[in-house]
Amino acid sequence: MASNLLKKVVSGNSHGIRNAVGIFMNAARNHWNYQYKPGPYPKTPEERARAAQKYGLTVEEYQPYPEDMGYGDYPKLPDIGADSKDPHYPYDCPELKRNFNEPVHARAEIFGEDRYDPSMRPRIPLAQQWTWFLGVVGGSLALYFYLEDYKFGRPVTCKQYPGNGTHYLFTPK
Amino acid sequence: MGQMMGSYGARNVDLYMDDEPTFNPQTGFSFNRKEREMKISEAELMSAKIPPVYRDYCAHYLMDYQVCRYKNMPMLYRCAHEKHNYMNCEQQDYVLRMKEFERERRLRVREQRLVGAA
Repeated sequence: MASNLLKKVVSGNSHGIRNAVGIFMNAARNHWNYQYKPGPYPKTPEERARAAQKYGLTVEEYQPYPEDMGYGDYPKLPDIGADSKDPHYPYDCPELKRNFNEPVHARAEIFGEDRYDPSMRPRIPLAQQWTWFLGVVGGSLALYFYLEDYKFGRPVTCKQYPGNGTHYLFTPK
Repeated sequence: MGQMMGSYGARNVDLYMDDEPTFNPQTGFSFNRKEREMKISEAELMSAKIPPVYRDYCAHYLMDYQVCRYKNMPMLYRCAHEKHNYMNCEQQDYVLRMKEFERERRLRVREQRLVGAA
């Protein structure tokens, strides 16, 4: 994106000054929201091709979000968490498992290695996990309710206290 | 009497742990049973700050034990006899409760048998 802006400054169009200021402000603050704002939703095939080129994708793999989601022309990338990516591939940015100029997912914040991986394949299938969980908890509950009727304690009557009626020994007076 | 099974053997007469005896205490005895007597007054126990759960028929031994502890404070081995007396009394109390339980159970079984025969 920065190179695009630089090209625009050099070609000297009407937004040249504004873009030049944008580049310097971006260098100072590292962000400038309007530059990251996606373009309008592409409606014609030409617009689609232009948007695909803008995000470094081919026309075949470019797929925008539905228009009512408000993401504009931002591409809908596959939901692959960083944990599901190949850890041995020599990425340009190994911390994020990302290559230079690779398009960023719209929800990239949650797909980091420290957060969530929607494409994760669990080591133990989910159905098996549920079976074990419900089996153990349900089995314990079933045992508990079955044994409700078989309660017993120590063979003693209640504790005898002086204020609580007359009590007797088993010896004669 | 089946210590391992606890009160399980009394289930058939609907008798469980810590139930109250329901029969007349003299039923089935040829002699008059001796009453249990409390050797110490409630006021004394209260002034000694003995908690209500410990104000049973052994409380006077507990009182002796606590007095001994107070007098011999770091040398608590000197109160071994007082403690022994108290523990023995509590054990006898427990045995009495077990006897009451067994008596209650047998009387209930007998009642069932008489009702069935009639």
